[in-house]
Amino acid sequence: MTDLFPLLMILLMLNIVVGLMRVLRGPTAADRMLAAEMFATSAIAIALLLAVLTQREALVDLALVFALLSALAVVTFVNRAWSGRVRSSDGEDRP
Amino acid sequence: MGAPGLAFDGILGAALLWTAWQAIHAAGLFRAVVSFMVFGLLMALAWVRLEAPDIALAEAAIGAGITGALLLSALGRLDWEAGRATDECLRGRDRAFWVPTGLLLLAGLGGAAWLLPAPGLGEPVAAELGRSGVENPVTAVLLNFRAWDTLLEIAILLLGVVALWSLGPTPWPSSPELVSPALPMLGRVLFPAFVLVSAYLLWRGSHAPGGAFPAGAVMGAGGVLMLMAGARPWLSGDVHGPWRWALALGMVAMLGVAFAVMTGGHGFFEYPVELAGRLILLLELAAGLSIALLLFALYLGGEPPADWETRRPA
Repeated sequence: MTDLFPLLMILLMLNIVVGLMRVLRGPTAADRMLAAEMFATSAIAIALLLAVLTQREALVDLALVFALLSALAVVTFVNRAWSGRVRSSDGEDRP
Repeated sequence: MGAPGLAFDGILGAALLWTAWQAIHAAGLFRAVVSFMVFGLLMALAWVRLEAPDIALAEAAIGAGITGALLLSALGRLDWEAGRATDECLRGRDRAFWVPTGLLLLAGLGGAAWLLPAPGLGEPVAAELGRSGVENPVTAVLLNFRAWDTLLEIAILLLGVVALWSLGPTPWPSSPELVSPALPMLGRVLFPAFVLVSAYLLWRGSHAPGGAFPAGAVMGAGGVLMLMAGARPWLSGDVHGPWRWALALGMVAMLGVAFAVMTGGHGFFEYPVELAGRLILLLELAAGLSIALLLFALYLGGEPPADWETRRPA
């Protein structure tokens, strides 16, 4: 099973690369933020796969920190959008 | 991992370069901020691949996490016009200066890396690890062998907060105009996890990757989360209040220990071997708490009022 892990990591990494297109093209700020959240999820999966592959427990902690702080990023974003103070910085970006 | 590992590293490196370029050159500020956050995330993975889990943890907590939130909320306070005024590229004259300067800097760094002594300092650190009081070599270097550097790092954070407070009162309203109904609930559920993970990272620092900086950053992020959820911050700018002492706690504790060991006939920051473990734990605790508060204070973006209820200036 662990033989598959490197391939899965590459697949997840390619997932991130494809998602970068969404950050580039938008069109709304929410699309970009969701893409960034998807990257955080992929990064958690990569960290956990690497933790099993390299037998480093510290990488599980890293996945934990990723998970907590990506929640913070999305909360910051929602807070901006909700309180109506978001005058989106990209012209085409009004959410 | 062989060929798959190489392919993974190749994609990771290319994505890093692309997000770095986007963070600097994206047409809109929001896109740049998102690119910067993704860059921090990928950088943490790159540190993992370089077998530096300690730096990966710090990068994930500070670079990808709390800095992203800081930039996003700073963006919320900018005018729409200010956000658009960033499209201008480097002009020809600037380019003629910065491109050679950048290349020169890169060549200098490359040369310095080339000239580094071959085995590095890993072996001397491993040889002295038994006398350092902790089992994790990174913590031993940060808080024992090179504690002076850590003292200066905390001093820089403190200096940042002092400079920020001198700019004026925080623009933050005493509570967000309208708190999303989901946020208080989310805050209540998630905040205990932030506290728990922070304490866990602090405790792990003595024998595994972790320590004061990631722990402080996670704790500070938890505070920011509660602030978003509509909680009233307890941090106040009161001149005689305890918070100024709490902000300075890390630095005061480190200097206190450094001078206290001198009275026992040791050098500056030269811990007695039998006490080293406990002293390092004490310093980690003080530094972690102080870093959490400093990062939170940085997030407030100005001097908090002495009293949040009435917003009486400090």
